[in-house]
Formats: sequence, structure tokens, C-alpha cells
Amino acid sequence: MNERAPIVFVVDDDPSVRRSIKRLIGSVGLQVELFGSAQEFLLSKRPDAPSCLVLDIRLPGISGLDFQHELAEANIHIPIIFITAHGDIPMTVRAMKAGAVEFLTKPFREQDLLDAIQLALERDRARRQGDAEIAVLRERFESLSPREREVVAMVVSGMLNKQIAAQIGTAENTVKIHRSRAMQKMQANSLADLVKMIQRLQFLPARARKLRW
Amino acid sequence: MISGNAALTGSYDPLQVALSVLIAISTSYAALDLAGRVTATSGRARLIWLIGGSTAMGIGIWAMHYIGMLAFRLPVLVECDWPTVLLSLLVGMLCSAFALVVVSRRGMGLTYALIGSAMMGCGIAALHYIAMAAMRLPAECRFDFRLVALSVVLAVVFSFAALWLEFYFRDEPKNSAWRKLGSALVMGVAISAMHYTGMAAATFIPAAPALDQSHAVSISSLGTLGIAAATLQVLGLAVLSSLVDRRFDSQGLELALTETRLELAHVARIATMGELTASIAHEINQPLTAVVNNGNFALRQVASGAPNLEELREAIAEIVNDGTRASAVISRIRALLQKGAPDRVELDINEVIQEVTILVRHEATLSRVSVRLDLAADLPRVLGDRVQLQQVLINLVINGIEAMRTLTDRPRELLVKSAKNADAVLIQVQDSGKELDPEQVGRIFEPFFTTKPQGIGMGLSISRSIIESHGGRLWTVPGSSGALFQFTLPTDGSSVS
Repeated sequence: MNERAPIVFVVDDDPSVRRSIKRLIGSVGLQVELFGSAQEFLLSKRPDAPSCLVLDIRLPGISGLDFQHELAEANIHIPIIFITAHGDIPMTVRAMKAGAVEFLTKPFREQDLLDAIQLALERDRARRQGDAEIAVLRERFESLSPREREVVAMVVSGMLNKQIAAQIGTAENTVKIHRSRAMQKMQANSLADLVKMIQRLQFLPARARKLRW
Repeated sequence: MISGNAALTGSYDPLQVALSVLIAISTSYAALDLAGRVTATSGRARLIWLIGGSTAMGIGIWAMHYIGMLAFRLPVLVECDWPTVLLSLLVGMLCSAFALVVVSRRGMGLTYALIGSAMMGCGIAALHYIAMAAMRLPAECRFDFRLVALSVVLAVVFSFAALWLEFYFRDEPKNSAWRKLGSALVMGVAISAMHYTGMAAATFIPAAPALDQSHAVSISSLGTLGIAAATLQVLGLAVLSSLVDRRFDSQGLELALTETRLELAHVARIATMGELTASIAHEINQPLTAVVNNGNFALRQVASGAPNLEELREAIAEIVNDGTRASAVISRIRALLQKGAPDRVELDINEVIQEVTILVRHEATLSRVSVRLDLAADLPRVLGDRVQLQQVLINLVINGIEAMRTLTDRPRELLVKSAKNADAVLIQVQDSGKELDPEQVGRIFEPFFTTKPQGIGMGLSISRSIIESHGGRLWTVPGSSGALFQFTLPTDGSSVS
């Protein structure tokens, strides 16, 4: 997969703060896009690249914290760095619990912001990579026939070929064929490999988990 | 006129002498009390107090003289020519008036005190010697001029002491009653000393009456008149004083009330500022954040060895702008927190509204209220105190924001509108919250009436008194959706450029 240049989105209603952040982040060679409100950010076309969001808590219309919640609801998993002119502890706790990368109080040290951005981009990269791998696994899993899926489910639960044959009322050799075809389709080199793959597909976040067996 | 006759020997009734001195002191007290009010007044009131004071002084000297004469016993019948007696009274009053005019000036200096006391002393002496000339008795009056001179000098010196005591220290409120009593005492002594020295200077040689006797009246009736006049004067003054003091007191009360109002407005401002701390911190932190970021950017550029000068210039220009912006916020807050006498200047009310919007912006955002401004262009300027008008607007806007905090079924919107209205500017603050409770509408401007759990109920009452002190009106408009508060400010006709 060809990785595109990372991009930092900044949402702050104060134009002069916005511009200053762009200068600062731009000076370390990162691409920056500025937004005056959460709405503007939502409406924008975001490129498919590792990215993070520098978000002011105080925004016109909707607060940064509520926006964080909305993004999560909409399944947009962009790492968020909060900036605020007057943070308090409950606010910080809420933000961090909801998965924020960092919570910075304005005016912040540039290094703190840049470190947080690096960390956020790292996280996004890892997430994107994981997502891509899962997508591949899912694709492979989707290519299994119903019978093969049934056999795979029993194999990963620890049943022997003989037991599986007895259970589904077929010959042990047939089970073996199903099993090896499934291994092939999933590109699993060993039984352990297959177990890991299935586990990864199973332990996805709730919304993505629905494996049709 | 030569005569071999021995001088008539006179004697004094000590009781009546004492009475004469007492009368001199008490009437002096009355006169100084009246005259003391001259300084604080101007125009017609000043003239009235001056006339009152000098009349009292004249009558006082005059009464003392005749009671003194009553105390003086001669073995012959002593009568007086009443037109001359009247003249002496008039001269005494005139001199007192001059003296009081001079010394009642604000910031009486030594020169004025000297002139005033010379006037006063001469007035006392003139009254005395004219009154002596009014005497009709079968004797000739001769004067020892050294003693006459001494009597005048005594009158002047004691008058000086009395006037200095009363008028030089009049601005010190401490012990003012004792001071007045002291100066009345000295003034009484001045009159009495002059009188009795003057009497000592006179010798009466028996002779045929040489002067016109047609208008003569007996000295004892004049003495009685003197006592009556002095008594009436002191009583009258007591009544007058108490009446006037009551009026003065109520003026003082008014003044104290105004001061309290200012104080209260100041306290309310501080309380409001307290509520706005987060807003204020935000408004200062924003530009500071930009300054720090731009500063860091500039440092990086410089450290890189090959700075992009155009970008560097832009960043530095922004630093300057944001620094100015932060300092403007601080001066606005300082102005609001400062306690000061109201300062009326020509204002563009739209500007005041915009300044207030910045201060409450954060508060509005936190409560998810969108603040909308609908400001009329070309509004005439209003004459007002910027800080006080900001205070009123902050109050109304914060009230509106707080009223909408529980609103969930419609957008929370606050509209601040300015418009021209005949010879006034009309400012409206309308929220989209609940309508005002008709039962409470009548009371919301009362002090200590509040519907907020944490409110002290002073905001609207202070706001109304501020607007009224600007010659405007603050009221609510019933039947509007949400609460609508509006106020007018009279304009001076000129248009905002």
C-alpha cells in the first residue's frame, strides 16, 4: 500500500490562532488544513491519508467534546488533540476517556503540540494499517463457501477432523478437503495462523464484528 | 467747650453688664452661624445668608450696646435720639456685611482676614460712637482719644481672632460646634471690650442739653428693646437653623445615596466580571497562544539559517497584532473593574455593543447560545459613560444567556439590536427562551428581586438606574417570544461618522 503524505486538520474559531498553528506545524514539513468550525470540517473532503485533528474545545455551535463524540458515532476514527484556553479536570478526563491523544492548554509549548501530532499520526498510521489488514482478511473470509466456514469454525474451536465429520455427517476426507481449501483461501500457513486470523476478525470493534458464519 | 463742673460719676450694674456680654456672645454665635452658610452657597441663597448674618451681627452689637448702656447708671436722665440710634444700627449691619463678604470667600487668606476684621472692628466702633452721639442728656460727653483708639484696636484684634477661628478652619468638620462657640465667644468679647473701653474713654460733664431733644427716647426702653431683639434673634436662628440643617441633611442624604449607588454599581460589575472569568481568560489566552506560536515559528525560521523573510515578517506582524489585541482586552476589563466617577463622552453605541459581545462570547459559546447582532448603521452618537453602558449590556446579555440554558426545544438565540428612534437610540436584547412570567414582570426591576438561584437581584435595578441617569428608559416588552428588554438613550443630534 502506497502511503500518502500525512495531514493535520486544525479546527479553531480564532483565525489568528489558526494561522499561527498552521505556521508552526507547517514549519516541520507537515501538511495542514484549517477549519473555523466543526461543521466546515465535516463537510470537507478528507484525503485518504494518515491524519489527525487539532480541535479547540470551545467552538461555535458545538463544543469540541461533543464533536469528538459525534465523530465516534459516525465511525470516523481520527486521533484528536484538544487545545483549550481554559481546560479543567473534568473536561480533560472526559476527553482522554473518549480516546483523545492529548489535551493541551493554550498557550502550549510547541514541542508538546508537535510531539502530540507525531503520536497521533503514528496512531492513525497503525490504525490504518490494521484496518487494511482486517479488510484483506475479511475479503478472504468472505470468499469461503458456507461449508468451509462451518468447518473453519469447528477447527478453530479445537475439534478434530473425525469429530467434525461426525458432527456434520460426512466423511473425514471431505472435511480434510474443506479444511485445506479454507487454509488456502485464507492464506494461512498453519493451524495457529488460521486461529489468529479468525480471532482478529472476531475481536473487531462492535460495529465491524459481524462475521457471517 | 470749657466747664468747671466736675464730671458725672457713672456706675455699672454688674448683672446687666454680664447680661450684655452674654447677649454679645449669643448673638455673635447666631450671626456667625448664619454667615458660615454663606460659603457653601451661591447666587440668591448666598445673598440671603449674607443679609441674615450681617443683620444678626448688627442687631447683636446694637443690643449689646444698649444693654451695656442700661447697665451704666448716671445721676441724670439719659435719653437717646432714635433716628441716630437707627443710623448706628444700619452702619453696624453694613460693616458686618462687608466683613462677612470678605471673610466668607473660599480659601480666605491672611489679607482677607485682616481686611474683614478691620471692617468688623470699625463697624462695632462706628456703631458704638454713633450711638454715643445719639445720647441726649444734660451733660457734655468728652472722649479720651487714647482710650478711643484702644477700643477700636481691641475691636479689630478680637474680631480678627474670631473670624480667623471661624472661617479659616471652617472646612474641618471636626469639633465644628466647639469652634463656632469659641469664635462666638471671642466675637462677643470683641464687642464688649470695645464697648466698655469706649465707655471708659468717655467723661460726662454736666451741661445744658445742647442737642435736639425732639426724637429722644429713654435709654431703658432702648435697653429693653435690645434684650428683646437679641432674644428673638437667637430663638429665630435656632428655628431657622434646624429647618435649614434638615434640608442640608436631605441633600447630604441624596449625595450619599448617589455615592452608594456608584459603589453598588461597581460591586455589581466586579460580580459580573467574576462570572466572566473564564471568558476573560479565554479572550486573553487566544491572542497569547497565537503570539507564542508565531514566536516559536519565527525562532525556527531564524535557527534554520535561511529564513523565509516574507513568512518571518508576516509572523512578526501577527505577533504585534495579537499583542495589541490582548492588551485591549485587558484595558477593557480594567476599565470595567475600576471605580470612578461617571465619565460622559460621546459614544457610538454599536461600538459598545461589539465590545460587550467579545466579553460575553465565551459565556455564550459555553451555553450553546448564538449571539446575533443587528446594528443600524448611521446611528447618532449618544452621550454616556462607556463603562456603565457596557455594564447594562453585559447584564442584559448574561441574563438572556442564562435564561436559555435549560432551553431544549428550539435554538438558543440572543439578538442584540440597535435602531434609531425619534430623538433617541433604541437598544433591544431579546432571547429565545421562555416568556417573562407576567406576575414577575412588574417586580424584576425591584432591588433584590431575582429568579436565579445564585442571583442577588441587583443587576436589573442597577441597570435601570444607570439608564435613567443617562436620561433614558429601560423596560421589558410583554408578549414577545422570549424575554425582550430594551432601553433608549437620548441622542445629541450629531451622527456617527
